[in-house]
Amino acid sequence: MPVADVKRELPSNRMIFDARRDPAKYTNFADNYETLMEEYGLSEEERQAFRDIDIKRLGELGVHPYFLPQVSRLFHGGAYNHNNSPSAQAYGKSVVEGKGKTR
Amino acid sequence: MADLVFATGLSHAPGLTGWLDQAPENEQISLTEGFNRLGELLRASKPDVIIGIANDHVLNMPLHDLHDFCVGTAESWTGPAEWFRDWVNVEPYTVQGASSIARKLFEGLSARGFDATSKTDLLFDDNWSVPLKYLTPDYDIPLVPIHMNCVVPPVPSPQHCYAFGLAVKEIIENDLPDGLRVAFMGTGGLSHDPGGPKYFDVDEEFDRWFLALLEEGDPEKVLRECTMEKMVAAGDGGTSELIAWIAAMGAVGTRPAKTICYEPSVALRCGMGCVYWEMDKETANV
Repeated sequence: MPVADVKRELPSNRMIFDARRDPAKYTNFADNYETLMEEYGLSEEERQAFRDIDIKRLGELGVHPYFLPQVSRLFHGGAYNHNNSPSAQAYGKSVVEGKGKTR
Repeated sequence: MADLVFATGLSHAPGLTGWLDQAPENEQISLTEGFNRLGELLRASKPDVIIGIANDHVLNMPLHDLHDFCVGTAESWTGPAEWFRDWVNVEPYTVQGASSIARKLFEGLSARGFDATSKTDLLFDDNWSVPLKYLTPDYDIPLVPIHMNCVVPPVPSPQHCYAFGLAVKEIIENDLPDGLRVAFMGTGGLSHDPGGPKYFDVDEEFDRWFLALLEEGDPEKVLRECTMEKMVAAGDGGTSELIAWIAAMGAVGTRPAKTICYEPSVALRCGMGCVYWEMDKETANV
């Protein structure tokens, strides 16, 4: 989804914005995101996309494109983020290859 | 009257510090030597302060409370923000701010009608952490960071960013202390597509065209030809960071940019390069 079509008020966008700023939220994100999704009131569609790590779907739902590689890093880690790293590969499989779910 | 003694535009993509060893050797050498050279030139101009402009990666200005510009007015800054630390692979650092200068900038920009806010708690990611690592490795030159929005519509147009640069130049010359030496740094770009389908692509043709355009030293032509649509087509959400370079161009006027290095780095997922403008009075086109 182009930047121009981002949904500013989407609960996922508010959650990801805060998650990168707060150690209590980004630490062990993969184990704790259900609690965060409840806290921020994500829709069932958004929640399922996070459970599937379906980065492409999150983009379609209106998550800001800038956040999409960061979602991959929240789940897979950000260190040494070269093209063959787990987070870049998961992003590529979902968005570039169009396969959606990476879990 | 303070003096603008140096101006630069440079990439800040995190691969330069985070995974440069994954790039082909010729790219590693070209970028390392180029960015180090830019640092030497910057430091040789002996600036007392760096005024920097870079995009906010939707880290400090939330989607529901955006401004075109946000001036950092703190006395000192630390980086990288913790979650980004292992990603950019830059050791924690502290750099002095310049709060009185920052406040004068904020007041001057607001008085001129720019949509500006100010913050003392900006988090730094790659936008400052990557440039500072190369340009001021001792973190010994105070920084006034200005974050701008270039990824959440409506974004300021290239024309507006050029006017912003002009305004910064006016404020430097009219409102900052006599004898103060100022460097102006715009960071971001070149072509890349974070969050889009061209994540692993670089638009070398656009990048080389853009650099050649800046080398002509003709701001009107840059504003006429380098539209936002053209930048978005070269990579949505990333390439438009180049409006920071256009802001720097606003401060330097008709001087031709000099390209130090450029690499279309697929390994770093970004067209990587840097330019500078010589600020001797004789170097402006007339």
